[in-house]
Amino acid sequence: MATVTIKNVWKYYGETPAVKDLNITCPDGSFVSILGPSGCGKSSTMRMLAGLEHISAGDILFDDQRVNDLAPKDRDVAMVFENYALYPHKTVYENIANPLRLRKASEDTIKARVTGAAKLLEISHLLERRPHELSGGQKQRVAIGRAIVREPKLFLFDEPIAHLDAKLRAHMRGEIKHLQRSLGTTMIYVTHDQLEALSMADYIAVMHDGELQQWGTPAEIFNHPVNAWVAGFVGEPAMNFLTCDIKGQGDDVLLRHSNFEIPLLPGQVRQLNGAAQAGTARMGVRPDALSISMTRPDEAAMQGEIFVNELLGGDMLVEVQLDDCRIRVKTTPEFEGKPGENCFLSVNRDKWHVFDAGDGHAYF
Amino acid sequence: MTDVSPISANPREVAAQIFRARAHSAEVEARPQSEITNKPRSFNPPMPKRYYYYLMAPAIAILAFISLYPFFWLIVMSLQDVDIGGGEWVGFKNYVKLFSDGRFLDGWWLLAQYSVMCLGLQVGLGVLLAVVVNSSKYEKYLVTALLMPMMMAPAVAGLLWLFLYNGTFGWYHWILQSAGILDNASILASANTAMYAIVLVDVWQWTPLITIIALAGLKRVPRDQLEANMVDGASPLRNFFAITMPNLYPVLLIAVLLRFMDNFRFIDSVLVLTGGGPGSATKILPVYLFEVAFKFFKLGRGAAIALTLLIVTIILGKLLVRVFEKPQNEKG
Repeated sequence: MATVTIKNVWKYYGETPAVKDLNITCPDGSFVSILGPSGCGKSSTMRMLAGLEHISAGDILFDDQRVNDLAPKDRDVAMVFENYALYPHKTVYENIANPLRLRKASEDTIKARVTGAAKLLEISHLLERRPHELSGGQKQRVAIGRAIVREPKLFLFDEPIAHLDAKLRAHMRGEIKHLQRSLGTTMIYVTHDQLEALSMADYIAVMHDGELQQWGTPAEIFNHPVNAWVAGFVGEPAMNFLTCDIKGQGDDVLLRHSNFEIPLLPGQVRQLNGAAQAGTARMGVRPDALSISMTRPDEAAMQGEIFVNELLGGDMLVEVQLDDCRIRVKTTPEFEGKPGENCFLSVNRDKWHVFDAGDGHAYF
Repeated sequence: MTDVSPISANPREVAAQIFRARAHSAEVEARPQSEITNKPRSFNPPMPKRYYYYLMAPAIAILAFISLYPFFWLIVMSLQDVDIGGGEWVGFKNYVKLFSDGRFLDGWWLLAQYSVMCLGLQVGLGVLLAVVVNSSKYEKYLVTALLMPMMMAPAVAGLLWLFLYNGTFGWYHWILQSAGILDNASILASANTAMYAIVLVDVWQWTPLITIIALAGLKRVPRDQLEANMVDGASPLRNFFAITMPNLYPVLLIAVLLRFMDNFRFIDSVLVLTGGGPGSATKILPVYLFEVAFKFFKLGRGAAIALTLLIVTIILGKLLVRVFEKPQNEKG
């Protein structure tokens, strides 16, 4: 167990920076997810933590120990790879035992630990098989078994469940989270799937273009994204963005679109702090912060035309044409509107966001 | 605009439709195989077996003419006392006599020494070179340079080394003599050093082959397995033997098999360098075979030696495959 500190870390591949001035502190025993699209530098970060990649600048500390110059074998970390990386010429038992053998553990310890790990992961019946005789989910369990058998300081999981099918993935999310809780070891989990990050992690580090965008708990990331990029990346279905004008009118500040004019809540006016008075801004609102109806609920409602309905089992997603743009609304399957019909949208103003039109940072 | 979507917008109806479709598909899947009568018609219906033999017949005929016919003649010849102009049937006498032929038995012993030394050095050096080349940024140029010796005809290579070993102006001779390792005797004329000399030539010429093949194998070693093993706690050396070597076995098998059979057949450079001498210090079996058959024209005995050599080659080849395939089989 260890507190992991990433301090002003840079990673260059030739002239190309992959990670730019990264600062993260993962508390001891926490489950931290590094979230970002492919090419955002999350895997490079993980490989630097494991010692598989040279650190171009900055420091990585485990507790108070600087590990920059330690070889992977001396860092006492365990890693689960995206492609499992099992040793094909060894049995499942030997695969899991490998880290212990390399550390010259006694045969009794090995046996006890391997069978213990296998029991925990429910792969006891597979111990004599070889990796090619296993399914994807089983391989993944073996890879996790190899990681937990040694009781390391730190777990590194590099998109371990990306190759599983959707149902198994959902199952493994719960398993991994439970495993981390019961072992209490610090875990860093790299993923591009925002749902995985939101559902599993204690803290999420959102990365984009090699830079840390936001650090926070899943709720903070979801409810208070710091900029438009994070807001658009996190959440499924994705947030709607509309470019609006900000207009002061008496004591009120209005958000004006060709289609509607909606006043901000008093607290939000303060948060806007006059910064974008009388300028343009981007309004962001998640599909579930909008409600749709066939009759006009109030004067401030937006008016649009239903473009298409998508039934998603328990929910229905309605895409609405609003002048020159489309926004998506989440509603119940009982919604009766048909494509082409007029409809009205009203916004839950507690849950909307306004972003700067230029650099995209969030006012609230 | 109302008729944009052919599916009813009423979600209950849509859900019902989907449900019906699912139920239907489950029903189809549940039907026993035997009930499905309209099997897809094959575009390549199977033909009677003899049809394939007809197709292969020309190739087999040519192959029989150029390879099987001489082979059978070899067998026939080995049972005869062949001289210029004819042969006399002697049964297995040629074979029986081989076992009391000291030079035949010596030939085997020397051949064993020669191949073991050649293969050991070539595989060891070849893999080492491959690792070095693989981690070098000048890989392309190194590979080209390494290929040079292989492109040379073995007889020419023999001549080249004949000069290098020469007792009067040979470079190696001069170096070794200056270093005090060698006394006045010429390298090739001394029974102590001649065998090492011919081994060195073979190693010089054919190590690159192993290197090239091993290099191709190294490219195939999965990087994530190496990395996983490193994180598990392996040192680089341990990593090499635990991950790289098992992945190299299949390609090394091919390389070793090729080289081992070549050692049993190719004697161009040995003939050029020593001709089997001094005395019979380098008279490995194929050289002896050459002498018997084409210097003394004992074609019957030569054929018998050749067949023995062939049979041993086949047996050893099989054994080699089995030894090498073991780690492979574990992979399954």
